Amino acid sequence: MRFFDPHIHMSSRTTDDYQNMAAAGIRAVIEPAFWMGQPRTNVGSFIDYFASLVGWERFRASQFGIAHYCTIGVNSKEANNEGLAREALELLPQFALKEGVVAIGEIGYDEMTPAEEWVYQHQLQFAVDHDMVVMVHTPHRDKKNGVLRSIDVAREVGVPMEKLVIDHNNEETVQSVLDAGAWAAFTIYPNTKMGSERMTEIVRQYGPERIIVDSSADWGVSDPLSVPKTAHLMQERGIDQAAIELTCWQNALDAYAQSGQIDVEELLKAPVIDQSQRFSENSVLRGQQPRIDEPVKN
Amino acid sequence: MTEPPNTLLEELLLPRLDDKAQKFWHNARTELAAGCNKSRFAALIALASRYCKRRPLDVSHIERERISTAIPGLTLDEWNLLELLRVALICGRNDLTSAQFAEDYEAQFVYADEGETCALYRALPFLPAGERFAWRAGDGCRTNMLSVFHAIALDSPYPAKHFDDTAWHQLVMKTLFLELPVWRIVGLDERRSAELNRMALDYAEERESAGRSLPIGLWLCFTEHDKNRLTALVERHWHSATAQDRKAIVFGLVRSGLHSQVHTLATSESDAGVAHVIDHTLGGQTQQIHFARLVTD
Ligand SMILES: [Zn+2]
Repeated sequence: MRFFDPHIHMSSRTTDDYQNMAAAGIRAVIEPAFWMGQPRTNVGSFIDYFASLVGWERFRASQFGIAHYCTIGVNSKEANNEGLAREALELLPQFALKEGVVAIGEIGYDEMTPAEEWVYQHQLQFAVDHDMVVMVHTPHRDKKNGVLRSIDVAREVGVPMEKLVIDHNNEETVQSVLDAGAWAAFTIYPNTKMGSERMTEIVRQYGPERIIVDSSADWGVSDPLSVPKTAHLMQERGIDQAAIELTCWQNALDAYAQSGQIDVEELLKAPVIDQSQRFSENSVLRGQQPRIDEPVKN
Repeated sequence: MTEPPNTLLEELLLPRLDDKAQKFWHNARTELAAGCNKSRFAALIALASRYCKRRPLDVSHIERERISTAIPGLTLDEWNLLELLRVALICGRNDLTSAQFAEDYEAQFVYADEGETCALYRALPFLPAGERFAWRAGDGCRTNMLSVFHAIALDSPYPAKHFDDTAWHQLVMKTLFLELPVWRIVGLDERRSAELNRMALDYAEERESAGRSLPIGLWLCFTEHDKNRLTALVERHWHSATAQDRKAIVFGLVRSGLHSQVHTLATSESDAGVAHVIDHTLGGQTQQIHFARLVTD
């Protein structure tokens, strides 16, 4: 099986992760712009971060046969540093229109402060003006209310519901998101929150339409193999193969390919890892033996 | 230059663009010719990806001739269409010789993605007063992105023309480290030096100590400056070398003036291909373009 993990922060992951992900069949990832685990102190830090998402990280992923796309946005936590957030917002036109930027995101609410709302609205407007997809991070506290508010505000600004992906859903929020006509993404966390078992039951109950599975793996305890692991559990528990394919590959592709920034033809070609040309003291692989002509498992 | 780079770039570009991309190009060209500000310039370079994909150019024989006549040493065989469009946009500015252009061009690197960074560097051989960007190009070589290094170092006359010795030696050595085709560094023949020869010999010994084979292009970097060390290196490798490696060694010896060693080796050479290379190199075909044929044939 092939997999698409449409929410994973690869900048915080190791090359072992990339290797295991490729071996598990992950062929494409989306890395949403987020915070770094500690607050940024100046706008230059945003510049270098955004630049690494469209540059270095994209290249690093390609060495493992994984297509790397990203989203650009000012996250909700740092929206609360109003002066810095304004400066960071001015960078949007410089980065959001680049090749391979599939959405504005991840944006939304954390504590639902007025500052967060202003930054959220500003970015929704940017997305509408540039006909872009939006990836919304929903708050972990007061989630249900946060999800409803995120959808309402996006609708008010004029984001078409088919271009809205609401992430970090659970059993309590999924129906509202589907009713609104948006995409409902689920983050599979290894210990707490949403696990693979609950995910399986959600797909059983709600069906696969507009439902997306992701890992949101980052610098915290998280699992970059969440998507393939959930797919295998769904298989064991008797979920339709077609439903697994939709939730772990096709829906993410359909949602984000609306950006025009995924070269689908290129992505569907059987990927071959050829690191022989990239093997060096100066590259990611350093002294390792390059892998040549080893097709990524489907 | 026999024809202005803009004309050449546009003539390469147009037949490869679909209608939508042609319209984008025509509008952009008009805008650039009229003069546009830094952020619009950046936007045009970014937006190009919405009109062209990263597809090979499939450069024809006639086109290849025109390119090398216009800019000797330049080859576009490994460029993709999106890069060609972006370079045409950069060169479409009406103020390429101005300080404003230099400032705007430098500024692009801060916000550039991987594909844009490659295109920005690919534009170098087309830019007038290229010496203005020598630091930028040298800094670009410090990249960890192979694609970016490739765009600066290979198939372009820019580095040989504008790099100082330190940057030039680093470029050649990094190409060896990355196991990229050294013979595609334009101007390597002319810019070999005693210092580069020493670095290459040191590197050969470092690889030997690590139990690693020698990259085939290493043999192109030697000169007549340390014949004893080179002779010793050849003696350690010749007997276990593959036919392909023996061909490369022959190049290294002849290029370093060690003709007599080659004559000696010729007497016991049983491989017809190697014997053929011995004849040709002793006959004077010792340049990197001749070496390239070894690898591509
Ligand atoms: Zn995230």
